[in-house]
Amino acid sequence: MSKELIRLNGCTMAFDDEVVLDKINLSIRDKEFLTLLGPSGCGKTTTLRIIGGFQTPTSGDVLFGGVRINSVPPHKRTINTVFQKYALFPHLNVYENIAFGLRIPKADASGKKVKLPEEEIGQRVMEMLEIVNLKGFEKRRVTQLSGGQQQRVAIARALVNRPKVLLLDEPLGALDLKLRKDMQNELKRIQKAMEITFVYVTHDQEEALAMSDTVVVMDAGRIQQIGSPEDIYNEPQNAFVADFIGESNIIDGIMRADGVVEIFNRRFQCLDGGFEKDEPVDVVIRPEDVDIVPEDQGQLRGTVTSVTFKGMQYDIIVDFYGFKWLIQTTDLSPVGSRIGIKIDPDGIHVMKKSEYSGMFGDYSSYSEEYEEISDASYALDEEESGDEE
Amino acid sequence: MKKQNRTGSRVLIGLTFLFLYAPILLLIVFSFNAGDSSAVWKGFSLHWYTKLFQNRLIMSSVYTTLLVSLLATLIATVAGTFAAIGLYSLGRKRREALLTVGNIPMVNADIVTGVSLCLFFVAFFQGWGAFAKWFNSIQSAVELPDRLVLGFGTLLLAHVAFNIPYVILNVAPKLRQMDRNLMDAAQDLGCTWMQAFWKVMLPEIKPGIVSGALIAFTMSIDDFIISYFTAGSASSTLAMTIYGMTKKRVTPEINAVSTLLFLSVLVLLVLSNIKEVRQEARDRLGAARKPSALERLGQKAGEPRFKWVRRGTAAVLACAFLLAVTVLARETGSRPVVNVCSWGEYIDEDLITQFEEMTGIRVNYQTAESNEALYSLLKSGGADYDVVVPSDYMIGRLLEEDMLEKLDYSQIPNFSQIDDRFKNLSYDPTNEYTVPYTWGTLGIIYNTAMVDEEIDSWSALYDDKYAGNVLLINNSRDALGEALLYLGYSVNTTDEGEIRAAYNLLADANRRGVFQGRVMDEVFQKMEGGNAAIATYYAGDYISMVENNEDLAFVIPKEGSNWFVDAMCVLKDAPHQREAHMWINFIASAESNLMNMDYIGYASPNRVALERYPAYYEALYEEELDPEIYNIMVTPPETLERCEAYLNLPAATLNLYNTLWTQMGVE
Repeated sequence: MSKELIRLNGCTMAFDDEVVLDKINLSIRDKEFLTLLGPSGCGKTTTLRIIGGFQTPTSGDVLFGGVRINSVPPHKRTINTVFQKYALFPHLNVYENIAFGLRIPKADASGKKVKLPEEEIGQRVMEMLEIVNLKGFEKRRVTQLSGGQQQRVAIARALVNRPKVLLLDEPLGALDLKLRKDMQNELKRIQKAMEITFVYVTHDQEEALAMSDTVVVMDAGRIQQIGSPEDIYNEPQNAFVADFIGESNIIDGIMRADGVVEIFNRRFQCLDGGFEKDEPVDVVIRPEDVDIVPEDQGQLRGTVTSVTFKGMQYDIIVDFYGFKWLIQTTDLSPVGSRIGIKIDPDGIHVMKKSEYSGMFGDYSSYSEEYEEISDASYALDEEESGDEE
Repeated sequence: MKKQNRTGSRVLIGLTFLFLYAPILLLIVFSFNAGDSSAVWKGFSLHWYTKLFQNRLIMSSVYTTLLVSLLATLIATVAGTFAAIGLYSLGRKRREALLTVGNIPMVNADIVTGVSLCLFFVAFFQGWGAFAKWFNSIQSAVELPDRLVLGFGTLLLAHVAFNIPYVILNVAPKLRQMDRNLMDAAQDLGCTWMQAFWKVMLPEIKPGIVSGALIAFTMSIDDFIISYFTAGSASSTLAMTIYGMTKKRVTPEINAVSTLLFLSVLVLLVLSNIKEVRQEARDRLGAARKPSALERLGQKAGEPRFKWVRRGTAAVLACAFLLAVTVLARETGSRPVVNVCSWGEYIDEDLITQFEEMTGIRVNYQTAESNEALYSLLKSGGADYDVVVPSDYMIGRLLEEDMLEKLDYSQIPNFSQIDDRFKNLSYDPTNEYTVPYTWGTLGIIYNTAMVDEEIDSWSALYDDKYAGNVLLINNSRDALGEALLYLGYSVNTTDEGEIRAAYNLLADANRRGVFQGRVMDEVFQKMEGGNAAIATYYAGDYISMVENNEDLAFVIPKEGSNWFVDAMCVLKDAPHQREAHMWINFIASAESNLMNMDYIGYASPNRVALERYPAYYEALYEEELDPEIYNIMVTPPETLERCEAYLNLPAATLNLYNTLWTQMGVE
């Protein structure tokens, strides 16, 4: 495991008494691909801006290679950023956009400001154009490029300065689905090739899981969970993470003993322990971890109320004693049929009761909530851009 | 039917444009007129352009105008741009509120802005004066000036103030269009805020800054009202000078200068339009369309190898700025100065140059448009004149209000050459305050081609025979004075019955349609062009009219007329007493009087000059002076005896004059 590069120690950010970040502790290792994931307003962009130096935390420390850099301005950090909507300079062509950072005189070892020779600038720009697959575009105006091409210019413009860390603020948000998938691979490839740290901000969980070494799930200004994509998906630490990552059924349960949880007055085997006896808990069950069996063999019995064909599987909604579950299955069970279900012990995740369990009671609230979250973020974007006009 | 409609609308469009541009065209045409009339074409000539560049008053005001516009634009553009950036960084609500408040000065009536700024400056100066006096009394290391007055500084401040909103208004939309992350991106790539501003924000908002600056510049050049209230005595913009000159008449030099002004504004307009086309071209290029030649040109200008274009522009701007600053420094230097306020076209400007070369004193020569305007300017406390040249009745008023300084005649030896007839006059009976400048008479001017009798009475003005062909002088004192004289009363009567009788005479003639209109300067055009038969005006002005129309005749009616004296006075507590006395003595000399008499056509009060004028004329023009003309210019003593000078009337009588005069306009 590589060494730590950036550390946030108890960073709090407040605007006019509104706490946006609440005592964040985060360690970012060298050369890792770390993603800050969470819904709009969770504090992920603020965290990124603190690392970039655009904002100074109200309290807490930002360390870079062990040195406190709270008050170091952005232009003195060896960190570069790819901004939302790219923020390319419209009055410059592709070449000049990428060369922008190289043309700023930098202090050398003796503190004297030196300009890079034009030759070296040209060489480095061409090198970057090759890396981002934009050779031959150098004379184009940036306004003539497609979204994906602009994205590549933005990445090249940041990387040409050879930063130790690249910050990416929802860089794929403005691209269409197909292009987004391509760019995900592209980004991963570039990160590997350049051997630098990427800190990536997104609200798209798929993107986060697909690209990251480490995922940091954030909500309401707090870190909810840090871990590898597999950990985050398979072992969500609370209902929010479970709900936000993938799709989940979250059910009230009672812990009767270590490895035994009671749902709907029935006892299920599970792998979790360490709770007090008879403690009320949240039980998270992924839709794909539920097996459908004939009614009489099931641990629980319910009625199918809706079926949606999703290509690879069916999403069916089953009513158990008035509670609706989402189950993903490859077998078709028609609406109205009675079925039984079985859940293996490793498919049951027991977690402490959290504030979310009330809001995210069943599958339907989940999916609607998710839509709302993404809608809200778009509405917010629109408001911001409206503000700018 | 349809076709007819189209022709109709074409004619309408044609007429509209004709209406818009015919006056300007006429102005441009007449700026090339060889003669000095605005009605009679005497052939093509660049004479007035040559004269324009020799006219000190106009040139110095052109210079002031350019300097103040340039500096105000520069300051307002920088201040406005940063103000817009500051506003932009605020929250939306506060930004919009501040923008609204900031825009109010633009829609505010100029007159309100002007008056309030004037009031503010004068109030500030008073406060400052008190502070400076106190400060100077408690220490002696630094001597603060305790007497500040309106001048170039206040003019500049006022222009900056009214220009800033225009800049903000043009820059703000560009800032709003700009991606908010651009500045962050630049700083992220290694720029300090200032570097990011120069490299990223400035190119983005430059079109807004340029159009803001252009608008500010034209606004500054255009402005009259605000300048009028804030320039004080020491500075005069072109618009103010032109306005001051109309007291006498609009000379063709004005046509020339207006033509140049029109053309330069036109050039600015074309420049800013080209700029816009270029900008649009750049914006449209995103649509991947083959750019037109003009667009390509626009694109090229943005490329590095066209840097010299930008560098050149920057160099020109820098030079202009440096020039402005050096000249400003010179102007405000410690060279002795005398501030003179007179009337437009009322001095041979070579005299100013001569005086400056002889004494080293700089003459700050300004003009007011009427006695009444001068009076209110002095009363407002904003002016800083040393020498003024009011007419007789106004001198009486100023003396009554203790606004004049006693003169030291030992410093004015040339006073001895002033003819005794013009000493100890009613307005200054013991002659302690004044030195006469010119004198003249009011009389009837008529066109002998249109009038078949010899006019010798004011009665002609009210005669139905000339209905529609009589021009009434647009000045209550003169118009009612003529009627009073005709009725056999004194022009200085305070008897309400007599004045009302005179008014009834005028009002009756007016009702019968005798008068074509009430005019001041238009009289030149009307009489020279033969558009009216009879008018009343000053003898000196008849001299220049008759040069353009030989049919015109001048007469002082048998009932008598008004004769006037304009005299030089020094204002109470004027800061440059010594210089003021030197100036008065210089102007009172026989040589100066000869030059002035020849230049302005008004009679001199200098005995020696009066005697020598025919010989002077002969030497200058190599032809004999027509004795008839001389007699009109210099009214012979026996005629002058019939004439009466105006006295300062009591307030009640002045009010009556005003009321009656307005009343006639309504009827």
